[in-house]
Amino acid sequence: MRLDFGGLDPVSLQRISSADAGFDLPCNPIGSAPSFHLPAVADLDGFEKAAVDMVKPLHGTTTLAFVFKEGVIVAADSRASMGNYISSQNVKKILEINPYLLGTMAGGAADCQFWQRNLGTRCRLHELGNKRRISVTGASKLLANTLYSYRGMGLSMGTMIAGWDETGPGLYYVDSEGGRVKGKRFSVGSGSTYAYGVLDSGYRWDMTVEEAVELARRSIYHATFRDGASGGVASVYYVGPDGWKKISGDDVGELHYKYYPVSEAAAEQEVVMKEASSAS
Amino acid sequence: MLQSNKTEFSDSVFAREGTDRISRPRSRWIFLLGAWFRVLELSEQRVSMFLTRSEYDRGVNTFSPEGRLFQVEYAIEAIKLGSTAVGLKTKYGVVLAVEKRITSTLLEPSSVDKIMEIDSHIGCAASGLTADAPTLVEHGRVETQNHRFSYNEPMSVESTTQALCDLALRFGEGDEDSMSRPFGVSLLIAGYDENGPSLYITDPSGTFWECDAKAIGSGSEGADSSLQEHYNKEMTLEEAELLALSTLKQVMEEKVTAANVDIAKVAPTYHLYTPTEVEAVIGRL
Repeated sequence: MRLDFGGLDPVSLQRISSADAGFDLPCNPIGSAPSFHLPAVADLDGFEKAAVDMVKPLHGTTTLAFVFKEGVIVAADSRASMGNYISSQNVKKILEINPYLLGTMAGGAADCQFWQRNLGTRCRLHELGNKRRISVTGASKLLANTLYSYRGMGLSMGTMIAGWDETGPGLYYVDSEGGRVKGKRFSVGSGSTYAYGVLDSGYRWDMTVEEAVELARRSIYHATFRDGASGGVASVYYVGPDGWKKISGDDVGELHYKYYPVSEAAAEQEVVMKEASSAS
Repeated sequence: MLQSNKTEFSDSVFAREGTDRISRPRSRWIFLLGAWFRVLELSEQRVSMFLTRSEYDRGVNTFSPEGRLFQVEYAIEAIKLGSTAVGLKTKYGVVLAVEKRITSTLLEPSSVDKIMEIDSHIGCAASGLTADAPTLVEHGRVETQNHRFSYNEPMSVESTTQALCDLALRFGEGDEDSMSRPFGVSLLIAGYDENGPSLYITDPSGTFWECDAKAIGSGSEGADSSLQEHYNKEMTLEEAELLALSTLKQVMEEKVTAANVDIAKVAPTYHLYTPTEVEAVIGRL
């Protein structure tokens, strides 16, 4: 008697050439694991890398933050996508590092979550060691230095570090290339161009908190309207002298009808009136 | 020591034999004679059997024949020279009080910190060689923060105390960057976790105990007996502040002022009293 161990071979890893790619299932149905076709391309590794890059979650995003007279506003959508697939509509893209610091999430969700939590730990150690809170400058530099040390190793992050310190409001853009830029106004993600359009035209230094919150919300709404990879809920945070506070979280679908109320068309009104008269 | 002598002895015989036999056969006798003297030396040492006390004092990780680690015992002695620190547990939280020993009017009192925050729910008071305390506290801070990072919850007070004691025992380990001596501090660790308030005391041997009330440092004997007499489990936090300060007052040489004592509480979060808050407690004495 002879036992067939053929099923133990890793057939699924077999490379199928383009010549026999016409067959549906080239494997023996009994005693072997089902296999599947690999993409019929010359450079499989390169193809797979490109495919993984394409479906890397949260590449499609709209986040924004800006400094104004009263503090900093941070806002974001809540959609997570993997390529064309919308994997979540309720992602928390504004990360609460500590009561005075916020970070935004764009790029790899895990990268942002992990490193900003790591940043939170190090900010707390700074606080315990120096008996005062870390500055926004210091915190963003800590993150930028970490990301630079991993440069070229596949991290994907585009984040804004916003907060309030002894010098007042602070805002920095930090990314996985190791870059760090101080600024008054930033937007990151695939929807950022649309958000910038609204933000830049409506921005004034001496806005009230209410005006600033509304500007941020509208910027996110318009970005979600035009960018398919952004959507869900538009969250808005305000950072003032007493730390951050979540102001709102509105479903962008509802915001659409709030900004553009549907007026009943003349023809429909006629139908309604006719129905009303026939009923009486 | 015996061991190392033996290997040296055998090595030299083999090494010399190998080379000398070929080049100078006569010299072999001389070396054998030398080896014989070595054997005599060794047997002489065996007669005395044990190293003297002062030789056991040298190694931090060598037990004496009576089973003692002298360096660790000396480190515990060092604490008895330190300033007095008192800790009291109540149902509502834990109070710590220390004497700061301000030796000069030109000294800045706020620069002497013998009470430190480990995490928002854990504080500690140090006595002894206080220069060693920041090393332990920093270790505690990293441990508690790493715990928060990994588990998204505060670290329990007992685990934190254990982590500090693990470091206290890490002397003499490894070759290069290990500590050369035991820590010369004792810590009173006050904390508040899911099991309520707790007070721990650690010493240089890495041992820790849980207490209701405890004093460490030069005045600890008097302070401990005073605490034993006046402490009760039903105390309020205010009563505990008062007992901590009055106990300290009894054993302190100088007058109690806001500049030369520090008070802190963990109820349920750490708070170091400001000079005005300390003044208020002194006023109630």
